[in-house]
Amino acid sequence: MNKQHGYLNLSEQKQQKKLNLQSWILTAPAMLWLTFFFLVPYLIVIIYSFLTPDIYDIRFEFSLESYRQIFSGTYLRPFLISFRMAFLTTILCLLLAYPVAYFIARSKEKTRNTLLVFIIIPFWTNLIIRIFSWRIFLATNGVLNDILMQFGLISAPLQIMRTDLAVGLVMVYVYLPYMILPLYSVIEKIDFTLLNAAMDLGANEVKAFFRVTLPLSVTGIFAGSILVFIPALGAYLITQLVGNQKSLYIGQVITYKIKNIPRNWPMASALSLTLLLIVTLLLVGAYLLWLHNKKRKF
Amino acid sequence: MRAAKLYKSMNLSIFTLVMIFLYIPILILIIFSFNDAKIIVGWRGFTLKYYAQLFQNETIKQAFWNTMLIAGLSTLISTAIGILTALGLENKSFSGRRGLMALIYTPLVIPDILMGVSLALLFNFTRVNTGMITVLIAHITFCISYTIIVVQSRLEGFDYSLVEAAMDLGAKPSAIFWKIKFPLMMPGIIAAALLAFTLSIDDFIITFFTSGRGFDTLPIYVEGTIRRGTITTINSLSTLMIGATLLLVVLTKRIRGSLFNL
Amino acid sequence: MEDIRIEHLSKDFGGFTAVDDVSLEIRSGELFSFLGPSGCGKTTLLRMIAGFEIPKTGRILIGNQDITELPPYQRQVNTIFQNYSLFPHMTLFDNVAFGLRIKRTAKMEIIEKVRYMLSLVKMEDQSSKYPDQISGGQKQRIAIARALINDPKVLLLDEPLAALDLKLRQHMLIELMNIHDAVGITFIYVTHDQGEAMSISDRVAVMSRGQIIQQGPPDDIYERPTSIFSAYFIGETNLISGEVTGIEDEYVQVKCDNGAGEFFEIDSTFHFHPNIGQKLTLSLRPEKIAVSRFKPRHQDDINILRGVIEDILYLGSHTQYIVRVGKLKFRVFSQHKRVYFDEKALDWEESVWLFWHDTDTWLIAEEVDENGRNQDFSTEAPYHRALKRSSPGSE
Repeated sequence: MNKQHGYLNLSEQKQQKKLNLQSWILTAPAMLWLTFFFLVPYLIVIIYSFLTPDIYDIRFEFSLESYRQIFSGTYLRPFLISFRMAFLTTILCLLLAYPVAYFIARSKEKTRNTLLVFIIIPFWTNLIIRIFSWRIFLATNGVLNDILMQFGLISAPLQIMRTDLAVGLVMVYVYLPYMILPLYSVIEKIDFTLLNAAMDLGANEVKAFFRVTLPLSVTGIFAGSILVFIPALGAYLITQLVGNQKSLYIGQVITYKIKNIPRNWPMASALSLTLLLIVTLLLVGAYLLWLHNKKRKF
Repeated sequence: MRAAKLYKSMNLSIFTLVMIFLYIPILILIIFSFNDAKIIVGWRGFTLKYYAQLFQNETIKQAFWNTMLIAGLSTLISTAIGILTALGLENKSFSGRRGLMALIYTPLVIPDILMGVSLALLFNFTRVNTGMITVLIAHITFCISYTIIVVQSRLEGFDYSLVEAAMDLGAKPSAIFWKIKFPLMMPGIIAAALLAFTLSIDDFIITFFTSGRGFDTLPIYVEGTIRRGTITTINSLSTLMIGATLLLVVLTKRIRGSLFNL
Repeated sequence: MEDIRIEHLSKDFGGFTAVDDVSLEIRSGELFSFLGPSGCGKTTLLRMIAGFEIPKTGRILIGNQDITELPPYQRQVNTIFQNYSLFPHMTLFDNVAFGLRIKRTAKMEIIEKVRYMLSLVKMEDQSSKYPDQISGGQKQRIAIARALINDPKVLLLDEPLAALDLKLRQHMLIELMNIHDAVGITFIYVTHDQGEAMSISDRVAVMSRGQIIQQGPPDDIYERPTSIFSAYFIGETNLISGEVTGIEDEYVQVKCDNGAGEFFEIDSTFHFHPNIGQKLTLSLRPEKIAVSRFKPRHQDDINILRGVIEDILYLGSHTQYIVRVGKLKFRVFSQHKRVYFDEKALDWEESVWLFWHDTDTWLIAEEVDENGRNQDFSTEAPYHRALKRSSPGSE
């Protein structure tokens, strides 16, 4: 379409401008919406974090009290607990999801979609219901204890509900599909003749896996880990419904500061911003690590 | 070759275990919705009375309709915005592209709870009465990113030679859009709408932060009931909701191709 | 020396027989080709030699060692894959070093050997690049280096040039031959391209429907096909059905029907003993026939036919004429050599003489079946064209 005259074709430029304007108009609703209801609220969170708490509301008086408390380490424990749990959940999900994703990716093309649907159904079922079903299963007088006692494996019910074990179990349960799906989409794209090539060159199945398949699925491992780790870090519902009320996770602390009386919105804001900062640092770190891994790209 | 078989059977057994892990709690829940007991205890005989109670409970009915209203409206609005935005983003040389993409992807990688907190404070700051409207706004906000991405991924794979063919055959721009592009976008649009709908129904935490007293959605109601300890109707309610999910999955099997392009 | 012996090898995939009782011997150091259309079983055969498929019946031996059921990583056989299968996450150096690293070879030795291999394939200055940064021809070289560094006894090449463009293909063909001469090991080459197989191989096996139709040196297969399939698949040919009417020394007289109720006789050489009255097929290569508007002087050992030019295709190096004789159509190649025929160019619908030496007709002891009669074969050649069009090596 470009004429090779050596001067700019004006109607071509005009068309470019028109298309650009069209894009601005089409995307305006999303831009405005996300600006007002996604960006602006964070500005308010920043402002609120420098104000003074009130039992029911907030007082517009400047204060650095929230940050003083955060820096003095008062809230270190919830962060550490959340971190530990998110980390363990991610590792466990990875270990379970990889064989599953691999199995699906290597099964017949027709059955793959069916298997994926089976992975996705629980994912589409209401989160609170799934957590609730675990309560029935794990409760002191719940199904698991009933079965174990019936068979005489234990004499007194096990206390699993309201422990970190329960939180871990449910977290793995809830976030597993988030790990399986990205892993699957990466593994499925791996050219399996590469494995043939590795075996042809003397690698047995184990070596071929560690030298070829695993390095080629790194992108999926990264994506899956982020998709599991970040929501696990900020989880509220799981920790609230099956966790131990004596050791609070960060999501619970923030929620209590907002919802429960006495309210402390500046504190909730400051904690939220800290969590946001941590998540951002993690993402940047993951991105740099990923870049490092892909440094070959010029 | 034999070793390969061994690995395959290992993968198969892990797959089976994971499947059991994923489905056991749901199965137990369904079975226990027919259990004739007031609290969580062993099996006390078959009953349908909690289903009957469910349909007599006005609070649940109200929560159900609230959920449907919010899910329906937020799906409609967020999908419409998703379509427009995806079309706008098709222009790769669009000057606002990078900024908007960042704005779309960021909400996806930030914990939900932070969106809940920030919206709660926004509504507090602006002194808006929390209720239906604030919940709706919140739901649209977290659905938009998903709908845009799903519709856009469908447009990425769009074969532009079809548009050129239509132009060649004399179609005007409006005809090209409505006769060629829109029908081809349809699976993506349906997938986006379904995703938005499920996300909206599923959400607890953001609704929890943005709904005032007196406007409960089902997840909010369920959580409250669990906290108060009267859980008998929850079993049957959950079973019905799982049934609805399954129905939805079966109905959408036809367009699953684009569903998995998420 | 370690020859490869293949004994009664069969393989089927869910009822489809890919390889059907194949036996053959490949001599050590030979460059041996399997040639055939896609789906003929040549790739399956290669994969069984490489160890990616286990045969249903039969054995594969290298020297005296039975390798039929050894996994690929225990065979001294390496493969050049169709799309090269270079590891995208490794540098070229790491790709080539892969086999040695698996064997835990000492670092210094690896560096030394990889350098040598890279210089053998003329890629020594690109060792730190990644596969997606180099061209198809370069990938090919790296794939060769990566395979050869393991000192295989046999190198398998699965349509190695299929992904390259024409010029590069010819260049790589010569390069492959040079490498073969340099390393001196057995190469087994699989291709659907007869030109490649003919030019590179010491011996060729023509395959069809899982079986070997004919094997031998390229010129043998071209000049002396034993079946209609090999006559037809290799190069181009005119196939004429006829009936033996006389046998005289090393010549046979064959009576042919021109389809318009007339008969003519062709003399031919043969490689088997036909009987009087036997129905069979004559193969006559287009380049062996001369075409002229002047009647040639009659000679005993020359066949002469009169026909009409129906079509002329100018092809640069030569011109192809379709000449109608009765209802038969002959395909004739005529090179543009003015020193031979000092005459004006032939024209459409011009009446011409076709003539060729008796020894250039070749007798095949098979009949062209009813629906594949001569004229279909020689002008439309649907079978042949379909083969050319089909995607390379997708079996």
